[in-house]
Amino acid sequence: MESIKLRKITSVWVITVLILFIVSITLGILMRLNQGEVISQSPVTFYSNLTTHGLTMIGIWFVAGMAAVNYLMQRYIKTSYAANVIALVFTVIGVLMLWTATFIGKFHAAWTFLYPLPFKEMGAATWATLLFLASLTVLGIGWLIWSISLMTQILKKYSIAQAFAWQHFKKNPKVETPPFILISMITLIGVIACLFAAVVLLVLFYAEYFSKGNFVNDALLMKNLTYFFGHTIANEMLYLGLAVIYELFSEVSGRPKWKTTWYVALAWNFTLIFVLTAFFHHLYMDFVQPEGLQIIGQLASYLASLPAAGVTVFSVFIAVYRTKIKWSLTNLLFFIGIAGWVIGGLGAVIDSTISNNIVLHNTLWVPAHFHTYNAMGNVLFSLGFFYWFSTQFSENSKVSKFTTLTLTLLLIGGIGFLLAFYFGGADSIPRRYSIYPSDFPMAAPMATIGATFATIYLIAILIFFFNIYKRCLKILFSPS
Amino acid sequence: MFKNIVFTIITIGFCIKGNAQTVSAEVKEERNIYEKIYDAPLNVAGKQQLSLHELYNEKPLLLALVFTRCSGVCNPFLLQLKENLQFRTKDNSFNVLVLSFDPRDSIKDMNLLAKKFDLENNKQWFFAVTDSITKLNQSISFNPVWDSVINQYDHDALLVGINSEGYITKKLIGIRRGHDMDLLIASVNNVFSPTYRLPSKNLLFSCFNYDPKTGKNKLGLGLIFIALPAVLTVLMLIFISYFVKHKRPEIEETS
Amino acid sequence: MQQQPILVLFLALAGITTIVFTYIFVSSKKAAQSEKGMSNPLKKRFWFSLILFVILSIFTTATLPDSPYYLFADETPAKVVHVAARQFTFFLSEKAIDPASPTGEDIELPADELVEFRVTSLDVNHGFAIYNNSNRLITQVQAMPGYVNRLRYKFKEPGQYDILCLEYCGMAHQAMRASFTVK
Repeated sequence: MESIKLRKITSVWVITVLILFIVSITLGILMRLNQGEVISQSPVTFYSNLTTHGLTMIGIWFVAGMAAVNYLMQRYIKTSYAANVIALVFTVIGVLMLWTATFIGKFHAAWTFLYPLPFKEMGAATWATLLFLASLTVLGIGWLIWSISLMTQILKKYSIAQAFAWQHFKKNPKVETPPFILISMITLIGVIACLFAAVVLLVLFYAEYFSKGNFVNDALLMKNLTYFFGHTIANEMLYLGLAVIYELFSEVSGRPKWKTTWYVALAWNFTLIFVLTAFFHHLYMDFVQPEGLQIIGQLASYLASLPAAGVTVFSVFIAVYRTKIKWSLTNLLFFIGIAGWVIGGLGAVIDSTISNNIVLHNTLWVPAHFHTYNAMGNVLFSLGFFYWFSTQFSENSKVSKFTTLTLTLLLIGGIGFLLAFYFGGADSIPRRYSIYPSDFPMAAPMATIGATFATIYLIAILIFFFNIYKRCLKILFSPS
Repeated sequence: MFKNIVFTIITIGFCIKGNAQTVSAEVKEERNIYEKIYDAPLNVAGKQQLSLHELYNEKPLLLALVFTRCSGVCNPFLLQLKENLQFRTKDNSFNVLVLSFDPRDSIKDMNLLAKKFDLENNKQWFFAVTDSITKLNQSISFNPVWDSVINQYDHDALLVGINSEGYITKKLIGIRRGHDMDLLIASVNNVFSPTYRLPSKNLLFSCFNYDPKTGKNKLGLGLIFIALPAVLTVLMLIFISYFVKHKRPEIEETS
Repeated sequence: MQQQPILVLFLALAGITTIVFTYIFVSSKKAAQSEKGMSNPLKKRFWFSLILFVILSIFTTATLPDSPYYLFADETPAKVVHVAARQFTFFLSEKAIDPASPTGEDIELPADELVEFRVTSLDVNHGFAIYNNSNRLITQVQAMPGYVNRLRYKFKEPGQYDILCLEYCGMAHQAMRASFTVK
């Protein structure tokens, strides 16, 4: 079913994402080494690397999820190749602009660029701030076109009610919405909403920038918009990965395909609501935010875990428990990724409790939990897809010997790297510090340990990359 | 389209800037908070001599400082205060003390003032003079300056919130909106609001305005901007769905 | 301190999760071709979700009243400290701080009495996090330009307390700090 063109562009996505991933991990390791006082960077270098690391990571794992969903969606509906190309071009240009702003322009307002920080001489020159905002605009436009295009294609085949699988709430539905379509639809809605939030945010930034200070924004509104965009996109990219798992897990395991049932439909419809309101938990320590929204923040964060655990995680358990299945690198990555997602989620639920947040907010606990469900969750979902994709069009040969090595290194590296964060968080060590004050004697050694384990993780990724890039290149340069 | 939006926003921004009041009361209002007010002996119109603490012990106080010969802010200030409080007195949770800071004012002058505002029979309002005005002024950082050229005091229109233990809970300088009045009344009744906005900031797109009367936040214009992305998404969903409808094939029915 | 139980709880939950996933994985590895997998999955799913829901509800009810917005709400503070944060320093004063020419002073606070911090920022968003003698984060609030956040706290132990900035605010964020004493 898949067209050759789609196959080729998907392999470009895979290679691009992996290369940018390797660069971003390296930046991360350099930051931990600097905190460990093994190397010495200037604070500005550190913080501009922090900015690059954060935004690039968010960006690549979002597009990785989108590319995978786009590729698999071709099984059900015709997707737009042009939109895919536009997204690729805009992503590459956007990342290049971003890197120019951070590496050359030394823009260092962190990936959250919390208003009004970008306006306070954040780079070597004022152009860096503008270029940074422009890079976000380019990325945002490209991704918005892509998401809207995919949503439109779904709606060409399914009505709104069918795309949301509402007919499954009744007994014996006449039409079945595949789980993949349902989850993609729910996720795309969230993605489009948060990209719109980014548009509003950027318009307000530009308005203040070009009015030369005559128009002043409200810091509380800007913070809400920042996390509407930032939190939601980070959350939705995980769901893109889940859509892929719903489609592929049973397939690669040699099991019957998962079906949409009433509880699957219900769970994902609820997820849409919870995801769009959970971002309020980023503002717990802003007492200016109304208490009602703070409580919604905690409730939504708690409730978001219910459908996820009760439906998705449980479905994986049912598929695996005492069932002979074909294990390969793909479904192993999926399985471990789900575990990482659950554990990261536990850390997140603990942190999203307001009374805990007061002693955890902006300590290392925060990077600890989000690195758990990214580096050990979402990334593995996408790597699983990458691997499956690369083996689709070539003879499956001598891949198994890499499997154990890659997974072992990933697990050792990942767990060690994350534990250094968790212990740091419980030790009240602040996040986003280029070097640690002497009050925290354990902070620097812990950072070095983190960097060491992250290097092991990097080695696993490099092995994985060299394992699949040739096959991806072969797909790319195969005669059409 | 985009340019238009930016232009509109900038234009509105300019208008707001033009209207923005330039109160520098920010600092003065923050002085003496949670300090005890000087317990001055008072001569209250229509009552015997008593001490300030006897008044605030009975009920929290809003203290307004005026002088009867004022040709400036005092009259509009009192008028506004009376109007503002008209609809806020039902819960009966506080009294108002109008105190003269001019040593020339006698209790008779204050009686006349009460009559002028038709408040002499209002049980919630007290009009008084004191002979220790300097000490009281010090305890609330109130500094009227005599201007001999115009024969008037140069002074702020000051309203001080005092809770029933005699602590200064909040101050308002200038003739203020009803919303600030609500915050003041909440504060003298020891209702904690975890936040407030600085008086000099006048922003168009604020998300919420805390309403101490109900203890809730009223929605501000900024909230529209938070809800906007979700609303836009839903509208677009319906819009696209409507326009691609004719292209939709009949999906085969599963049995 | 609150952090230690949190870490233990997390590690325990993460450990249980790992054991469950490992157990399920091993059960698949060992399974014979003919095995049918989980029996009554729908029923088990229901109970699993219900138990999770109950646990989360209990947690919510138990923790919400401890949120900082409700702490010491009906008491009058013995002392108020004004805090103005600015890149890359904190001004602390018992008097109101003039944004045009902010100045701070040494702060000494009483132990076991309610203190209110009125925290604002003069430029960008900052964090106002209080660390005790053993460098544990005990409470915090954000400093946002244009708004004043009121953080209330009762210090039990006398000694020196440090304030660190916990919201990234620029190139010297890691060096932005202040301190006060409790007697």
